[in-house]
Parts: sequence; structure tokens; C-alpha cells
Amino acid sequence: MEVREPETGVEGDLELPWVVIVWNDPINLMSYVTLVLQQLFGYSKEKATQLMMQVHHEGKAVVSGGSRSEAERDVFRLHEHGLWATMQQD
Amino acid sequence: MALRSPIRRRRDGTYTVDLGPAERELLVAMCDQLRDLLVGGDPALVRLFPTPYGDDAERNEGYAALVVPELTERRLAALETVRSTAQATQLTADELAAWMRSVNDVRLVLGTVLDVEESGLPDGASEEDRERYATYEYLGMVLELIVRAMAK
Repeated sequence: MEVREPETGVEGDLELPWVVIVWNDPINLMSYVTLVLQQLFGYSKEKATQLMMQVHHEGKAVVSGGSRSEAERDVFRLHEHGLWATMQQD
Repeated sequence: MALRSPIRRRRDGTYTVDLGPAERELLVAMCDQLRDLLVGGDPALVRLFPTPYGDDAERNEGYAALVVPELTERRLAALETVRSTAQATQLTADELAAWMRSVNDVRLVLGTVLDVEESGLPDGASEEDRERYATYEYLGMVLELIVRAMAK
């Protein structure tokens, strides 16, 4: 049986999901951002375009989420492709 | 008949690259400049290595110590791929992906140095900056061609 630690402690924090956020910037091309989201996450062109437009118009969008290590892997790959990505616990 | 793009996918999954000698020379020169900045370190690289953890300084420092060196290695490897394939008229998908990331990296650094906005170059830019901006715009066009060739 799984024993869950209180969420106020360090152990609890590890259980909370993380989200990966891509922020708008004036340099990256919209078509490039869309392609990178398709390539990294396997999103359809429609979904990737929708996320890119959200970044463009609202300044940011949540593009993925999961455990801390999953979020770190995604942030690494986004940074490798020059996208401005951060991660935080939701 | 529509003009064929200078960068296009072939039936075998590789890509044709029809760029002229001057264009290839510019690409190599810009990649060499970026390599020197990556090796020496430079504030203009800030957009290549964003801090991932908001205002959590401790975690950001950990990322800078552990992950940034690996990101730098990946970038140098991609630049080396561009250099070694700069004269090629046929590229594999992996090689073209390295071109794509490197061209985008150069744009990010140029855009940072020039302080570009959504609308373009800020008012009152110097002649030198307008020339750099022309390079920035040209690389944007090359990137757009690569993206269109790779997009499904």
C-alpha cells in the first residue's frame, strides 16, 4: 500500500505535478515554434498551432506536464531548440 | 508552374539544399561566430539558456551547473554538423535539423544584440545594426524554408 506524505513536506512536493510553460518572445518564428511543438511532443499540427497562438496572444501557454523529471526533460529539449521554457508546480 | 523551394524533401527522406556559395559562406561565418561566443561565454547568449525555475535561485543555479554545459555541447555539435555539411546539396533529416537549430540559435543571439521587437528593429538603429538586421532577416527566411520542408 502506498503511503503518502503530507504535501507540506519535501516528499509531498515531489508528488505534485509540474507544468512546462513556453513564453512569448519577439524573435522565434511562429512556424518554427509550431514545428518544434509537433516534433517534441508529437502534437498534431492543429494542436501545436493552437498552443503557439496562445503563446503569441496571451504571452504564454502550458505545453506539457508531469513529474519533475519529465518536466525537466521537456524543458531541456525546448531550450535545446531555443524556446523560452520554464517549469513550475501546479 | 510554381518555383520549387531551394530546400525540399526528397522521396527517400533526405533533403535537397540549393543555396549559393555566398549564402553558404554567410551561414558558416555566422555559425563560427556563435561557436566562439559559446566557447568564451557572452551575455548575448541569454536567450539560449533561459532560467527554468522562475525566482527559485537555488534550482536555477543547479540547472546552470548541471544542464547548461550539456546544452552547450549539443549546440556546439549542431554547429559542427553545419560546418561539415555546409557545401552539401543533400542533407539527412538529422543534418537539416542541426541546421535548423543552429540558424535559430544565431537568430536568437542577433535578435538579443539588436533588441528586436515584434515590429522589427527599434527606431534610431545604427547603420551597423541595420546591416546585422538584414542578416537576421535573411536567416529568418532560411529558417522558414527549412521549417516548410520539414513540416508534415
